[in-house]
Amino acid sequence: MERERIIITDLRTQEARDALAYFDGLGYLAQSVPDDVCLWDEAALGAFAARHAENLVAVIHPAPPLVMCGFEQADEALFAQAGNEGAIAAWCVTKVFGGIFREKHDGAVIYLNSIHAEKPVGRGFLFSMGCGAAQMLAREANQDYGPDGVRTYFVQRGISADDPNGQSDVSPLYFGVDLRYPSRKMPGRGSLNALLGFLVTPDAAPLMGGDLRADGGMTMYYGHRRKVEGREYYERK
Amino acid sequence: MSESEERVALVTGGGKGVGAGVVRVLCGAGIRCCINCHANPAMAEETLRAVREAGGEAFVYQADVSDPAQVEAMVDAVVRRYGRLDILVNNAAMQPNRYIDEYDTASLQRLWSINIGGYWRCAKAAIPHLRQSPLGRIVNMSSVHAKRPTCFDAGYSMTKGAIRMFTRELALELTRDNITVNAITLGGCRIEFKTGHPKWDLKSPKETGNPALRGVNRMVEPVDVGHAILFLCSAEASALTGDCIRIDRGLMLV
Repeated sequence: MERERIIITDLRTQEARDALAYFDGLGYLAQSVPDDVCLWDEAALGAFAARHAENLVAVIHPAPPLVMCGFEQADEALFAQAGNEGAIAAWCVTKVFGGIFREKHDGAVIYLNSIHAEKPVGRGFLFSMGCGAAQMLAREANQDYGPDGVRTYFVQRGISADDPNGQSDVSPLYFGVDLRYPSRKMPGRGSLNALLGFLVTPDAAPLMGGDLRADGGMTMYYGHRRKVEGREYYERK
Repeated sequence: MSESEERVALVTGGGKGVGAGVVRVLCGAGIRCCINCHANPAMAEETLRAVREAGGEAFVYQADVSDPAQVEAMVDAVVRRYGRLDILVNNAAMQPNRYIDEYDTASLQRLWSINIGGYWRCAKAAIPHLRQSPLGRIVNMSSVHAKRPTCFDAGYSMTKGAIRMFTRELALELTRDNITVNAITLGGCRIEFKTGHPKWDLKSPKETGNPALRGVNRMVEPVDVGHAILFLCSAEASALTGDCIRIDRGLMLV
């Protein structure tokens, strides 16, 4: 029996590389889009997709790496590049692979995105704008392609223990980040893999079109708790 | 002079539609306005005429917000003419009404450069002047389609989703400068030209057939948006930043 194929469009982030290894371990034919295929070049991506459409069941499109830059420091080239990587690539992936899934009347497009589709980073507008755009694209694709059997999911990932942002001062959001989890513990590396493994199956169809926040409760949590004179208080870092 | 009479606003896409309603309200409150237009200067001149007849002060400046040089020249022109800039209303945008498949890379990049790039360029050029203002304000025109898909324009929705996050990020960055940044999530608004899908060309929300909206007998008017923006620009709204105010007569509730 031929192995089912899963394509992960961009391997520049750790969680994307982890997902590739995870699906490979599950027995899928997991592969990425080669570096020389531009994700916002419709012709090039379309040619790649056509060559790899056989047994394709899902495409996972990760958000690009976080770029930190203030509004006044960004220039036209950086702005255009961020738009291409964050928004235009998501559209191109949707159109190209969504078209293949429409013909098959089956398949999933999973946007492996970020909590920064809702929560600002602070000096991260180039990244957050792309996340917000991809989030709306996922909702549009759900309406546009859903009737043709295409399932779309938008995953808002948080920070995992091996995410370099979690150990950096790239944004105040990440200061003392482990204390910002209700469990006081950051999710471990590869913690999203089981979720992705579920989403690529037809059993996940009732979740389509939804925003799936997978951040360990971080964005709904105001701070870490502290005991003073026997009573618990929340304290912001 | 009152506080309002000293203040100066730049309203992009202020010559027609929602932008013209914003200009009329701000000028009616004594705020001097630059009415930015691009493709339709005749309508901008008509808006200017109405403002002046009502006793307001404004001028028209034609500039393409996708061109950084034109944006910088426009902001310079405002400051040269009035000596200050207190309020930026980012409103200029386009809505091509295309499904996902109907876009190509170039057309989506063009839309991105206007609908979100224009907001960034204008903010970048205006921020140094807004820092000098006692009530620096940025208001970004967004849409209910920053939350709910349009079903007829994926690209437009993407740019509005981007504006939602643009607003939150900019609000964070400018907190230390006491400049507030907010967005209007606008629903269907009665304007002099059609932007939405023809089948949604409604005269009032009650025409949606939803019983919950039977009592809503008129659409949002451009001046309704202007009144909300006038409040956001007031001293009383100083605590509001990074927020989105939905103006849709309750349509998003059903």
